[in-house]
Amino acid sequence: MEEWIERFEEARELRRKYADWNFIKSQPVRLRIALDYYIETGDLYNASRLAGMTMEEFNELRIKARIPSI
Amino acid sequence: MIAITDTSFLIDWVKYTKRDLIFKLFELIYIPESVFNEVRSETTLLWIAEGLENNKMAIFPEISELRNEALRLVLETRRLPIRSVDFPEAYCVVVGKVQNYVVLTENGGALALVNYYDEYKEVKVMRALEVLIELYKRGFIQEIKGEVKDYSRQTNHLFSNRDLRKYGLI
Amino acid sequence: MKIDEKALEEWIERFEEARELRRKYADWNFIKSQPERIKIALEYYVETGDYRGAAQMAEMAVDEFVNIAKEKAKIPTVD
Repeated sequence: MEEWIERFEEARELRRKYADWNFIKSQPVRLRIALDYYIETGDLYNASRLAGMTMEEFNELRIKARIPSI
Repeated sequence: MIAITDTSFLIDWVKYTKRDLIFKLFELIYIPESVFNEVRSETTLLWIAEGLENNKMAIFPEISELRNEALRLVLETRRLPIRSVDFPEAYCVVVGKVQNYVVLTENGGALALVNYYDEYKEVKVMRALEVLIELYKRGFIQEIKGEVKDYSRQTNHLFSNRDLRKYGLI
Repeated sequence: MKIDEKALEEWIERFEEARELRRKYADWNFIKSQPERIKIALEYYVETGDYRGAAQMAEMAVDEFVNIAKEKAKIPTVD
């Protein structure tokens, strides 16, 4: 269990590190919130719901924002 | 307790400065997809994102049997001389019945439905007023009359005198 | 559909009371000054409390519409 928590935190750090924050900040509110949420959690399903997109569409956005999928 | 919330409750409650107290009452609050799709304001979305992140909120998917029952309610309530219920609220009420979740709503159509429709009378519905009263009973709010006024002021939601009298608040 | 007639009557009264409150508190100067589409949506909302229908008329999200109705047009939520 502890190992998974560590992995989760490492993954979050990587997403934070590589994200294109200029791109994210330039997005409309809803997408910005969804991208922030995704960076913090890695939860593609809920992030796509927050963004009002399909998972596939949100995944495209994630790529544009340079957020790695880990 | 577990709850399912509709748009009407969410968009008022999010304006309340002590909104996170609700998680003292409910270990999880579900938001149906149809409700989720209606929300666009930054404040509401941020609170939902926080709730999702902290595992206090989750999205409730559309299940076809529940969906069909909700559509039936939408149709049936339109036959009556009273405010009908729309799909997102109807869906919450159906989920509330089937899953025994508390339904959080301020929607008149939904509130009326569980009062006049025998089949749905057992569904537990809470408006902000009932949530505040329950928080008070459990000691999370110190003084209820003042808190109800504060809530009303912060959210611009008016409670009916009929309900305030019923709970001894006026 | 088995209905409690007494409860139904009570709720009809409640809806009428709610409409009176929305009419009373609404900022009619603000409402009348709005573009036609928004004005109609706000008037409809005052009369019916139907935020969803009104939001669709105004071509807004539900929460965006209710926020404008509350903050600018001073129409409280009542139900």
